Amino acid sequence: MWAPPLIEWMNQGELRRKRPARLKVLWITPLRALVEDTNRSLTELVEGLQLPWTIESRSGDTTGSRKASQRKKFPAALVTTPESLSLLLSYPETRESFSELEAVIVDEWHELLSTKRGTQTELCLARLRRWNPSLRTWGLSATLGNLKQAMAALLGNDKEGVLIEGDTRKKFVVKTLIPKNMERFPWSGHLGGKLVEQVAQAIEKKTTSLVFTNVRSQTEYWFDALLGVRPEWKGQIGIHHGSIDRKERTVIENRLRSGEIKAVVCTSSLDLGVDFSPVEQVIQIGGPKGIARLLQRAGRCGHQPGATSTVICVPTQAMELIEYAAARKSMAEGKIEEREPLDAPLDLLAQHLITLALGGGFKEGETISEIKTAWSYRNLTRQEWDWTVEFIVRGGKTLQAYDQFKRVVLKDGVYQVPSSLISRFHRMSIGTITSDPAITVQFQKGKTLGTIDESFIARIKKGSHFFFSGKLLTLVRIRDLTAVVKLARSGKGVIPVWGGGKFPLSSELAQSVRERIEQFRLGKTSEPEMKAMQGTLQLQDEESHLPALSEFLIEKTITNDGVNWFLFPFAGRLAHEGLASLIAHRMSQLEPMTLSVSFNDYGLSLCSNSEKEIDETTWRTLLRPEGLVEELLTCMNQSEMAKRQFREVARVAGLIFQGYPGAQKSIKQVQASGGLFFDVFAKYDPDNLLLTQARREVLDRQLEAKRLTEKLREIQNQLFVLRNPAKLTPFSFPLWAESLRTQISSESWSDRVRKMAQELEAGN
Amino acid sequence: MNTKVEISWQGRNFSLLADRAIHWPSQKTLFIADPHFGKAATFRKSGIPVPERTTQDDCDRLTKLVEETSSRTIIFLGDFFHARIGKTEEVRKILTDWRKNLSSLQVHLVRGNHDLSSGDPWPELQIQCHPDPVNIFGIECRHLPVPRSQKPYLAGHIHPGFTLKGRGKDQIRSACFHLNQSQIILPAFGSFTGLKNIQPLPGEHIFLTNGKEIFEIPITA
Repeated sequence: MWAPPLIEWMNQGELRRKRPARLKVLWITPLRALVEDTNRSLTELVEGLQLPWTIESRSGDTTGSRKASQRKKFPAALVTTPESLSLLLSYPETRESFSELEAVIVDEWHELLSTKRGTQTELCLARLRRWNPSLRTWGLSATLGNLKQAMAALLGNDKEGVLIEGDTRKKFVVKTLIPKNMERFPWSGHLGGKLVEQVAQAIEKKTTSLVFTNVRSQTEYWFDALLGVRPEWKGQIGIHHGSIDRKERTVIENRLRSGEIKAVVCTSSLDLGVDFSPVEQVIQIGGPKGIARLLQRAGRCGHQPGATSTVICVPTQAMELIEYAAARKSMAEGKIEEREPLDAPLDLLAQHLITLALGGGFKEGETISEIKTAWSYRNLTRQEWDWTVEFIVRGGKTLQAYDQFKRVVLKDGVYQVPSSLISRFHRMSIGTITSDPAITVQFQKGKTLGTIDESFIARIKKGSHFFFSGKLLTLVRIRDLTAVVKLARSGKGVIPVWGGGKFPLSSELAQSVRERIEQFRLGKTSEPEMKAMQGTLQLQDEESHLPALSEFLIEKTITNDGVNWFLFPFAGRLAHEGLASLIAHRMSQLEPMTLSVSFNDYGLSLCSNSEKEIDETTWRTLLRPEGLVEELLTCMNQSEMAKRQFREVARVAGLIFQGYPGAQKSIKQVQASGGLFFDVFAKYDPDNLLLTQARREVLDRQLEAKRLTEKLREIQNQLFVLRNPAKLTPFSFPLWAESLRTQISSESWSDRVRKMAQELEAGN
Repeated sequence: MNTKVEISWQGRNFSLLADRAIHWPSQKTLFIADPHFGKAATFRKSGIPVPERTTQDDCDRLTKLVEETSSRTIIFLGDFFHARIGKTEEVRKILTDWRKNLSSLQVHLVRGNHDLSSGDPWPELQIQCHPDPVNIFGIECRHLPVPRSQKPYLAGHIHPGFTLKGRGKDQIRSACFHLNQSQIILPAFGSFTGLKNIQPLPGEHIFLTNGKEIFEIPITA
């Protein structure tokens, strides 16, 4: 990709061994971690050709002074992230510096595509193309179900491109470690650990392994568990995840590259990018959750041409065994998920417009045309544009309500940022990644280990132990967003939990899981995973029922908590969250009651202390597709869904600053939680654009209203099977044990509090 | 409606009010903690749009409380202002109008951490400011709670909240008063303030409020 601009440059007869005076090539990569690696490999190439090109990197890890000197004199090629590029656009002189830019290369586009970071990249590219209409764009992407759309989104609305697909199909093998004693194998949970010895044996057989987990806490757990069974591996295995300090991670990455490490336990932090050639084997802990994800991870090994990539799957709970069998089948059939670009997120447009206002100001007409060349905003309406501009100029629709607010002002037909305080805050908050308030973990002597969620550390008492970065630590004190720790000699520790969602099962994989169960019913499965599941699935059938494709299973079980209803649509957790809220809302309309809702990838549960009997007719009414969107909007306000989504919207739109240690007072005093913003807006400015945006995102992205309607239609055509098992079943147990819950209630606050207080009283 | 709870603490009778204040009938006094006036304005001045009505609403709530309890004194337990840049003309006008309506009221403020950097209230508000702690009417008034105080006290700063759990896996999170033998921590009064969850110890008391009603929650070990 990089060759054409180089060749062109050489053809221009500029082989006078003189470096290009201005920036020629921009390389965008999704991960900060990849910036340095890409820089290194590009530098090798240029040095090999003995060209006088300079290559530099620029990301959140680059020092302020380095960034400033870069802005004065750009290298010939710059490796950067979408956020850093956006930040560059906020400086007026960037246009001049970029005037000889010939090509932009976007690496790992599949990873950015269906996220706000992808949309941010689209907006930045729209700007670069307006500056230079002949700018060349290259995109690199892994296999996706919708490559053509991915290309269109990258190139923008008014350009056509060429799709080049590699034809060397790599061979993939999916193996699963089958638990020896399935009867004792857990039905829920995600840490697992029953198979530690087997995993250790698998690691022993190869020189270098990557052990992928789905969440950071699982990484800490497995790293410790592996050292528990192989204490002699201390120093020979590493741990790598997004909250571990950059320096520590670099050490691990380098050791991985040079092949001097036996195994690294990691999260998606090592999903992408540079090839760690020594990696011989990939181990996946927990469910793959998506076909594309498993392929990507499997692809981290077997780099020699013609080699087979093997991934060893390690279940942490029973149902994951079916996921492996399903993923293998889908991989063989080439059924890869699609990733869709977002549809005109206005919070991001607001952020981008402020960036443009800072970067020399913007005029209305030409900017609308520019924005519309970005794929996600190709259908941007006048009304949406007006809303967004009103938001950044006046804060909201209610004029008098936002006195003193001046983020952007219109002066002589140009929108500009009037104050340096706002410029500073804005540059600090460019980006779209939402994270919990982070606490830095630091040794007493000053070495930092990484970051941890405030909500987790708040529960740790001084002097008690917790695991982090693969070490057992003692909390010494917390001060100014820093947790000071020391190494603990021995003992037990708590494993931190980081916020941020779980990967939802893709709907393609959910469908494929359902298909496996159907084949099992028909006695047509022969995979080792399905064989291992035989006992569990039979138990499900005996205690309750194993639903056929044409059936819809509802279980009701009474536990100490009250009445639990379990429904199994097999539509993935995102869809189930929406369905659960909808049904709970409709149920609470029947009579005053409070329902606690949980959901996972296979089903949803409603728990209540009401004794209400629900027959098939009532269930069918509760599951009607009619009125879905309107009712979802109503119940969204009752549940936490919109509030949660609002956090991201508020962050992108510049309402929430992410704290960092040593932040100045001026920043600290304007920090408030997304939830608090949501409450204040909902009470005092319910029509605020950002609330609308949050609701729209929940509907479009999370709940996929269209898909939900289809699902409900499908359910209506199914045969309802109602069962009342005395005990929790293999299907219902994980839903019952799920701790993430949301309440939907038609009872008053005081009735609920009174009831709960009485229960506590009675319990004493 | 359970709009208040009467308690006896350290030989004195207080009413914990659902609208996040304490009434002391014998001294015709109201205690208010953490109003954080001008917080929304601070945000707006920093380019973050937050609707304004919170200041006016909070002043209306104060007036209503004073009138309903016929109080003659208000003691603010710190963090009257949120930040210096939030002390805008608009906030000043709302507060001054509020004060004019209640001109005979005595108002005290124990300076909190936010007040130290924001500066004292404008003179026309006629608020007597004290360093933390101060003894008024024989009771120890603080902003910052201290772990081992010789004298029992009332304080703010924490913005206490509590999550109540019950059958049917129900749960509710609300602001609360947190009491034990040596201290009463008040919930934050300001409408644009957050909560910090607390874990009461056996023998302590929690009164949960949603602003309209208030209930004591039994503490289980």
